Amino acid sequence: MFNGSGTLSRSLAVLVALFILIPMLLVAVMSFGQGSSLRFPPQAYTLESYAAYFKSRSWTIPTLNSFVIGALSAILALAVTTPAAFAFTLYDFRGKRLIRLLVMMPLMVPFIVMALAYFFFFGQIGLLNTMAGVIIAHACLAIPIVFLIQSASLKGFDWTLVRASQACGAGAFTTFRRICLPILRPSFLVAGLFAFISSFDETVVALFISGRAASTLPRRMFESVRQESDPIVAVVSTLLFGAVAAVALVVALRQRRAARPANR
Amino acid sequence: MATSRMYAEDNFKASRQFWHGAIRAARPWILLLPVLTVIIVLFLVPLLGILRLSIQGEDGYSLASYATFFTDSFHLAVLGRTLGVALIVTLGCLILGYPVAYVAARYAGGLGTALLLIVTMSFWTSFLARTYAWMVILGSQGLISNLARALGFEPPQILFTGLASNIGMIHIMLPFMVLALFAVMQRIDRTLLRASEGLGATRFQTFRRVFLPLSVPGMINGCAMVYIVCLGFYVTPELLGGPRDQLIARQIGSQIEQLLDWREAATMAAVLLAVTLVIYAVYDFFFGLDRLWRS
Repeated sequence: MFNGSGTLSRSLAVLVALFILIPMLLVAVMSFGQGSSLRFPPQAYTLESYAAYFKSRSWTIPTLNSFVIGALSAILALAVTTPAAFAFTLYDFRGKRLIRLLVMMPLMVPFIVMALAYFFFFGQIGLLNTMAGVIIAHACLAIPIVFLIQSASLKGFDWTLVRASQACGAGAFTTFRRICLPILRPSFLVAGLFAFISSFDETVVALFISGRAASTLPRRMFESVRQESDPIVAVVSTLLFGAVAAVALVVALRQRRAARPANR
Repeated sequence: MATSRMYAEDNFKASRQFWHGAIRAARPWILLLPVLTVIIVLFLVPLLGILRLSIQGEDGYSLASYATFFTDSFHLAVLGRTLGVALIVTLGCLILGYPVAYVAARYAGGLGTALLLIVTMSFWTSFLARTYAWMVILGSQGLISNLARALGFEPPQILFTGLASNIGMIHIMLPFMVLALFAVMQRIDRTLLRASEGLGATRFQTFRRVFLPLSVPGMINGCAMVYIVCLGFYVTPELLGGPRDQLIARQIGSQIEQLLDWREAATMAAVLLAVTLVIYAVYDFFFGLDRLWRS
């Protein structure tokens, strides 16, 4: 009875899904190709580019830098933001709205504006082209993400558990360590992961402030795409896409496993 | 004697109460101190540095650079193009994203799940990787050109034009739009749709009179998010776009790269920031910013 429009919407959706998917699959094909990184289809297929990626220090060092910067900026963002998320759920205080806006600011300001701001600021205090500079910048940019995730999870937190713990004689620190932390662990992990990925994927700020010394993977990819026709960029893109696909697969399988008992 | 001791005790109690009260009042601020320090010293100070730079003349502060910006036809054209391109990309994302979100929300089974999976995977995939993919597709040695040659006609130049940059931006922003739409569509009450169909409406009528109006909040959220990100988009237009289709973010970027005019770069950044914040303020006035961030 509803066949007409149902088929139409579904075929449209499938077409758009192909538009989303095909470019990513194309890159995977490119990564096995030989020769120029911009010719499609490639003339021959090899694994040479993969070997070249793992052998080339100009690629492995930025990769390592990105992991280190991502991890440290995520930890920094978690450490400074989590107490604020507690303050926002536990207390009412003057200027709450304004401070919330301040904490969310890094999400609102365009990255290119911050790139210019940090380029100038770090130039003055001598942190330009250093790992520390990129870590600080990325930690600031991750604060709103961590704040949103942590406050959302704290909203559902059962504070009677804290009162119960304190009634049993536990101090604030013990309560935090033995009660809050285990219950909130998933939220810590998710917030940390999001902060890590936002840093790992961040290109614009890193492009201008990381320099050669602290070059991140996106910066290396950007330069590679702009200047050379280096097939390694296809390898890196494929590895990144492969990592996402693997995580998606694991999550999907887990959800299915979790859903199964409910179906029975 | 006794009264004075009592007095002292009272005093002591009062002061203890005062201190307890003070500590209680200070507690949120102790928790807020780290984040406020970091945001103010390492985010706000650099940002305000830009604003100061933009008004710093040779002799004291002046708004001369803004006057130059808003009277220079080249800069105005760049600003206008930036606003226009962001609008095109936003509408493109809405048109392409709506059917995907609709089907994902209404057909929860296999197809819906598969669509969501593809969209989420694209969302998480490095956007540099996706930009590079479009260079392969649109380049003069790429998929489309070689396809055109195989069909026997000379391919037009697509890469390094505004079109290529728009396609790339739509591809990158599409997942944001779909997820924003889906978040709202998912919560639409199914019984309303069934009621509409039960009252004899066709599926199209149900869509147009019930589903579409209820999905408007998602459209607003998605469009606001995509539009704002597009205004400051640097990487994709820089890699896919042509030299003639300058956007404001690229202008700022090339000023940094070539270390040309600090003041001009800072002025452009301030204008871009102002436009962005105005859009946020308008959104906040009508809908409240909390709603934008919840998704």
